[in-house]
Amino acid sequence: MSVVFRIDSPYRSPYELHRLTFGSGSPSVAIVAGLHGNELNAIHAVNMLVSALRVQRPRGTVHLFPLVNTFGADEARKRWPFDDQDINRAFPGDPSGTAVQRIAYALLEASQADICVDVHSGAPHVRELPQVRAPMSGEELELARAMGLPVVWRRPGARLEATGLVGAWREKGRSALHVVGGRGLTLDSRLSTIMASGLSGLLSHLGIVPSMGPPKTIADVAHADIETHRAPCGGFFVSEVRVGDIVGAGHLLGYLQAPVGGERLGEVRALRRGVVMTLRANPLVHAAELLVRVARQER
Amino acid sequence: MPELKSLIEMELPSGDQVSVFRRRYGGGAGPRVAVVAGIRGDAPEGIRVAHQVASFLADVEDQLTGIVDIYPCANPLAAEQGSRRWPFFDVDLNRLFPGRIHGHPPDRTAHALCADVRGADLVVELRGARPSFREAPQAHVRVKNLDAAELAQSANVSVVWQRTPGPAAPSTFAHQFSGSIVLEGGSGNRLTESVGRDLRDGVLNLLAAKGILPEGALPFHWAALQRPVLVTDAQVFRVRTESSGLFLPAGELWGEVKEGEPLGEIIEPTTGDLVQSVLSPVSGRLLAIREQPAVFLGTMVARVVVV
Repeated sequence: MSVVFRIDSPYRSPYELHRLTFGSGSPSVAIVAGLHGNELNAIHAVNMLVSALRVQRPRGTVHLFPLVNTFGADEARKRWPFDDQDINRAFPGDPSGTAVQRIAYALLEASQADICVDVHSGAPHVRELPQVRAPMSGEELELARAMGLPVVWRRPGARLEATGLVGAWREKGRSALHVVGGRGLTLDSRLSTIMASGLSGLLSHLGIVPSMGPPKTIADVAHADIETHRAPCGGFFVSEVRVGDIVGAGHLLGYLQAPVGGERLGEVRALRRGVVMTLRANPLVHAAELLVRVARQER
Repeated sequence: MPELKSLIEMELPSGDQVSVFRRRYGGGAGPRVAVVAGIRGDAPEGIRVAHQVASFLADVEDQLTGIVDIYPCANPLAAEQGSRRWPFFDVDLNRLFPGRIHGHPPDRTAHALCADVRGADLVVELRGARPSFREAPQAHVRVKNLDAAELAQSANVSVVWQRTPGPAAPSTFAHQFSGSIVLEGGSGNRLTESVGRDLRDGVLNLLAAKGILPEGALPFHWAALQRPVLVTDAQVFRVRTESSGLFLPAGELWGEVKEGEPLGEIIEPTTGDLVQSVLSPVSGRLLAIREQPAVFLGTMVARVVVV
């Protein structure tokens, strides 16, 4: 393990950006987690990969950054605590800027590889079925499919922030993927294991580690194949499904009730067959907030 | 060089370390004074004053006839981000005293701090102003503790307030030590140059009054010090709003106000219409004024002390 960047802090031990490197030569892969300090499934998934690579002999180079935002993690916070800045909105960074900008710059420099993966968990109020999502085509789409995660979502480009790590990698001409799974602030071992398997699948596809077997993707979808259900009104959302459930047209996904008295205010039903890929975890919702995403699945 | 001691070392989830430190100046069999700052992270004035006092003592250490223990920051993780409460656990350290030796890190910090301070001949807690407020320099002592009240009059403040302990007092740091003096003033979560200087001089004068620091070593003449007024709870009036809106303050801090004179006005946030003129309920001096304008019905916006 090497320290690729360090900066003094006012009261505690210095901030250090740690990188673990396995193997050497081509191809090279960089995998980053914990840009957000509260995304524990992502951190756990990359640490599982660390354990696996310690007993393998990679044919190529793998750079792993299991936890970038250690100060955020100490407080279970998404952002850098000192000035409440999002590291994943600070790329490409600035070596003479704020602490967050310097971390972003150092990470971008230290994660030079042919293929880069940024691993996240969902926000604390939603649970995500492990998925790879970004605007993708060509080689990147092939790599995404090789991961074998439950969902491959070819998401429109407007959602790829230019100041995010994936966008910054692509600006530098690298192939970059964005993996999301689980829920912020919680650890779901089952979903973390699926995410770690997907990362191993990518390495396997590149010939860095032995073959993992065929991918197990449930839904490989374009944006138009995602059915998004939003709250018709504010209230208390009670879900009737779990992420990963296969549902058919008309299936009750959940309902909204009044927080006081429990009067049922509305129901949310699937429009077609698919897999539940995103599910609201915090029941208190405003009108128009995301409740459920269902990815179309062909029989 | 002062003796540097770590009271407690805490390992964070990431493996990082954070400690609470004490710097000791002087020695011998004379009295011991503990100066504690940064129990809340939104009181940087106290932290600054602690460092200024320490810096002065370092230059005159050979003249000290006792011990001065400086605890510049008891809540370093909160101070790092200017928050009142200890992050992650989201607890107010000043509601955890005397702490627990086997509790979570804030509890253990409270316990370690109390254990280290215990036995001191005088305990001085340094704070800033309360959040959202600007306050005149003031000393708080416990009511009926006449020795503390008399000593606090040497603290170079505008007012010495003999306070009756409220329901939360038993869990505060100052309450653990009967003769403690709390010094505060300035603006919430900000530094105020003049207040910092006043409180620094006040702490040094307290050390002189305790016989630890010779008067000849003080960096000011005694005639330059403030002569505080001594008040009890009955002389301090909290002014509360009678409507919600935006409070726009008026009046000069520690300036005289007459009964019925305006302390500010409340306007309606959408139209800007005047909702209420906030008037002083008594004649006295303005001890504190709110500077964060959003208020609900019943929000305290000022303290006026009858002198």
